[in-house]
This record gives sequence, C-alpha cells and structure tokens, in this order.
Amino acid sequence: MNSAVIEVLAPRYGIAWYPWAVQYFFLIAVSYSALLLTVPGLLFGRKNYESLAKVALLVTVSCTLVGPVALLADLHQPLRFWHFYANLTPWSWMSIGSLLLPVYLMLVVAYAWLAWRPAMQVQAQSEGWIAKISGWVCLGQWQAPRWMLVVAGLGALVLSVGIMVYTGAEVAIVKARPLWNTHWLPVMFVLTGVVAAAGLVILINRLMTGNDRDVNEQSLKVIVVTMILSALVAALWISEGITGFSPSVEQAFASLQRNPEWRAVAIYGLLVGIALTLTAIVMLRRPGWLGRSWIAGLLAVHIGWTFRWMVLMEVQTVAKNTAGYYHYAIEAGSSGLMGIIGTFGLWLAALLIIDILVPWKKSLQAGAH
Amino acid sequence: MDKIRRALLGQIAKLTAGAALVPLSSLASAGINDQPPRREGDPEKRYGMLIDLRACIGCQACTVSCHIENEAPLGSFRTIVSQYEVEHDETGDSATFMLPRLCNHCENPPCVPVCPVQATFQRKDGIVVVDSDVCVGCAYCVQACPYDARFINEYTQTADKCTFCAHRLDVGLLPACVESCVGGARIIGDIRDPDSQISRMMKEHYSELMVLKPEMGTAPHVFYLGMDERFVSRPDAKPAIWDVRDQQGEEIGYEFSGH
Repeated sequence: MNSAVIEVLAPRYGIAWYPWAVQYFFLIAVSYSALLLTVPGLLFGRKNYESLAKVALLVTVSCTLVGPVALLADLHQPLRFWHFYANLTPWSWMSIGSLLLPVYLMLVVAYAWLAWRPAMQVQAQSEGWIAKISGWVCLGQWQAPRWMLVVAGLGALVLSVGIMVYTGAEVAIVKARPLWNTHWLPVMFVLTGVVAAAGLVILINRLMTGNDRDVNEQSLKVIVVTMILSALVAALWISEGITGFSPSVEQAFASLQRNPEWRAVAIYGLLVGIALTLTAIVMLRRPGWLGRSWIAGLLAVHIGWTFRWMVLMEVQTVAKNTAGYYHYAIEAGSSGLMGIIGTFGLWLAALLIIDILVPWKKSLQAGAH
Repeated sequence: MDKIRRALLGQIAKLTAGAALVPLSSLASAGINDQPPRREGDPEKRYGMLIDLRACIGCQACTVSCHIENEAPLGSFRTIVSQYEVEHDETGDSATFMLPRLCNHCENPPCVPVCPVQATFQRKDGIVVVDSDVCVGCAYCVQACPYDARFINEYTQTADKCTFCAHRLDVGLLPACVESCVGGARIIGDIRDPDSQISRMMKEHYSELMVLKPEMGTAPHVFYLGMDERFVSRPDAKPAIWDVRDQQGEEIGYEFSGH
C-alpha cells in the first residue's frame, strides 16, 4: 500500500559530539601518521629520509600534545576524566583508548626528546635563557645510547597501532549510525590521516625550513599512494552498499537517499580527491614545480580534516528515527567555532614553543636550495 | 511468554545474520563491546512495557508528566509521542498514527558496553539506568542508542534517559507516563510473572506484537500492539514542523535543538 506520511511534530535531537571530537580525531591521526613518516629517517637511519623525519617529528609531537586537550574538552564533565582510571572498563573501546593514549603520548615525547637531545645539549653550552632551559630539558650532559631512541620509537609505533584501531573501532561499532558502522571506516581514518600528515609536513617544510626538495618529493609520493588506496577503499565501501553485501552500508545509503546536500558532498569529495592526486602526480613529474608542493599540502590537510568533519559532525545530522535531516549550525562559542580555532591556536603555540627551544632543523637547511 | 521472546529473538537473528560478515563483530565476540554483568535490581523480575497503540490518542500526557516527574530540561524528553499523518495514495483518505517512544530497556542494550566508566548499566530487572555521579558526559551512549532515547542533560551535563521511573517502581508506584495515560495504553509489569497484566496481554496478542528496529539486534522490551510495520524503523516521512519561529524569524524557546 502506498501512502504519503507526514511527521506532524519532528523533534530535533541535539549534537552529542562537538567539533572538539573532529579536532581530536584530526590531530591524533596526523600524530600517528607523521610518526610513521619519521620511521625510515630516524628509526632506520636512512640518510635520504632524514629531512623528512625531522619535519615529521615536529608535526607528530605538536599534534600528540594538543590532541588529548581537544578530547578532554569534548567531555561534558571534563574534570571527571579521572573516572576513566577509577572505573577501568575493558569492554569499552573508549576506556581502552583512555589507557592507550597517555602511554602513547609519553612514548612519542620520549622518542622526540631522545632525537632532539644531542642538539639541545650543544645549545645548552651557549649563553642565554634558551641555553639554560635547554640544559634543564636535557637532564644533564650524559650521552643517551641509541637503543633508548629505538625502544621509545618502536614502543610509540606499537601504541600508535593501538590508537589507530581504537579510534576507528570506537566509531565503527556504533550500529545505530549505519554511516559509521563499516569496517572500512578505521581504514579510511588511517589513510586520510596519512594524507593530512604528509600535507602538513609539506606546509611546515615550506613555512619553517628552506622548502627542502626531498621532503616535498617524498611527501607527495606518500600522498599519491594513500590517495589511490583511499579511492580503492571508498569504491569497496560503495560496492558493499550497492550489492547489499553489507546490510549496514545499504542502510547508510538509504538514510541519505534523495538528499541533494549529501550528493553534493559526495561529488565534492570525489573532485577534491582527484584534484589532489593529479596535482601530486604532476608535481612529481615536473621537478620545477616541486617548490609549489604547498598547494598539494593545503589540499591534503583539507581532505584529512573535512573527512572527519563530515564523518563525525554531519553524520550526526542524519536522523535515526525522525523525518528529515537536522540542520547543524556551528556555534560561535567554545563548543563550536572558538573550540576549533582554539585547538589550532594551541597547536600553533606548541609548534612555536618547540621551534624556539629545540634546534630541530639543525643540518636540515644545509641541504635546502 | 518465553515462547514469544524466543520468537522475537529468532526474528531478530534472521535480520541480523548479515552482520556476521563484519569482521568487527568477531572482535566483539572476543570480549570488547560485550554486555557487562548486570547489577542491582531484583533478579527475579524483568520489567517490560506493552504499548497498546489502539488506545493511544496522542495527547502527550505521558510526555508532560514524565517531564515534570523527572525534571528534564526544557526541550529534552525521556519519552515523546511521534505523531504521523498518513494519506492513502489512491483514496486520499488520511489517518493519524501515534507512536510513543521511550527507552526500550533492551535485552542487548548497545548503550551499556560502550560506556567507558560503567556509569550506565543494566539492572538485574532489565532496567537500564545511568549513575550521574559517575558519568563523564562523553555522550558515547547517546550515539550508540538507535532509538534517540538518550540525551545529555544540560543541567547535570551527564547522560539522561528513561528509567521506567525505577524510583517509583521500587516503592510500588507506576511510572509517571503509565499513571497519566488517559487511554491506559501503556502497560508496565514483570514479564517473568505469568499472572501480570503485561504477561497475559503478551500471551493473548502473541503474534501481533512488534518492537522497534529489530534489525539492530537490541531485543527491545517495549512491545507495541496495533503497530504498523512501516513505522518499525525510521519511517519514510516528511517533516511538517521543524521548529517554531516568531515573527522576527527567531527560534522560540521550546524547539528541540538545545543540548
């Protein structure tokens, strides 16, 4: 029987996760992805990846420090964060995450501290307040053996896999939101995270160092490979929905049916994805254009951040039971715009403080042109 | 009685068989996201609600009495009656359909295992509650509930939901919504007691009972009598009134966007 149904009073349910969540998911993904980029140069000691590792290490440390602040702010009762540790709940992904995150943070900081320490020890020898602080941060002039750096790096890497799994699973297990409930979501979080991290490395390379060629080239290659993989994952997700292989993805598609805004979002995503991939490929093929990699860098960061915005914020506007879609208007206050700007401001502050105190780009500019 | 539960579970099992293909569910079977043990409450009982839609007139007395009893903030509701206008395509006849919504106190509540601090839990009598002194307000449970039964209470900044008025049940009173229902459409009781009104009605209307969103595998314990299957999952409907605005186009206080 066909019939037209009108929901006379359609209640709107508020957004439960704020843009803070987007900021956390973005920063932590950039953090673990940039950590991966440090591996060949710093952990394996491959000479031609050293510059990339230097920039990526700065990116990973700054994002690792600021990400958890955004996460804390997304709690409606942030001062009760200690409840996570007073009530250990091994069956909850979020609880597992609360255990992984501090250990990951400490290992990343230890890894960076060990990597930056020799240069800071040299800096501590000179005059002035920076030298003094460097001396305190170094905890003395003793030489740290290389195995310490390797252990901290490997430990951070192991924990980073935990962060990838928990951040992805935490969202993907929510059956109530079919758009989240797919095993491809954790994969896509990682891939877009790597894209954004490579993009941010390119931007930092442009703004804070001498726009090193190797860094640009290696990051662009990472972007091309991960974008192709992302396209593959997106295609698999779509085919699971079309064929009905996954009833949940099928439901996800049904929930967006005939919605012009979501169609526009899909088309926009496709176009930006193609634009970034082609830009990166062209830049790699024409060495003269490598200096302008920052364009690809901006696009990459845009994709990584916007993917999380769409997944975490816009999906919350898809009603679970009521007719129509909710309209989410971003608030000006701390749970909205100020939160987004504030997080990025804090990240910038962390970046600049490290830049002032740590001679992280030592011997990097020498190779620049 | 057990028969009907088995039948409902069987129906759900069929609908969710496809989910077995999702590798994440194999992770879940390893313990993560499994239901934790129940605590508190009377283990001899299992509360459930039967809503006789044939007797619901959509007066919202339940909505209002619940709001007053449980002091929910303005714009947030533990229960609400969805009202639909249904027009027949060929004849043009129209009819209204009322659907009271509340927490389903599921046998497999997806909101419980996600809670990172064990603030939300299921009592042994099946009632799902939140300890607002423990809740950190992460809103994970709000996301996990397929029925929009949870919200963040703006006064307490913690998760809030229908408790079947457990504080009233525990002292022998009926929930506010049941007590105020003019049509007597809401029947609450212990479904383990074969002589309770709810058990007798469930037995009598065995084949007609439906639950909301069975495909979610939650095994809800709010059963609907006189249900139209088009409304079991998110109905294909058009919204009539989104929010109410004054002449200046400003939203009037009671609309539902608050959090």
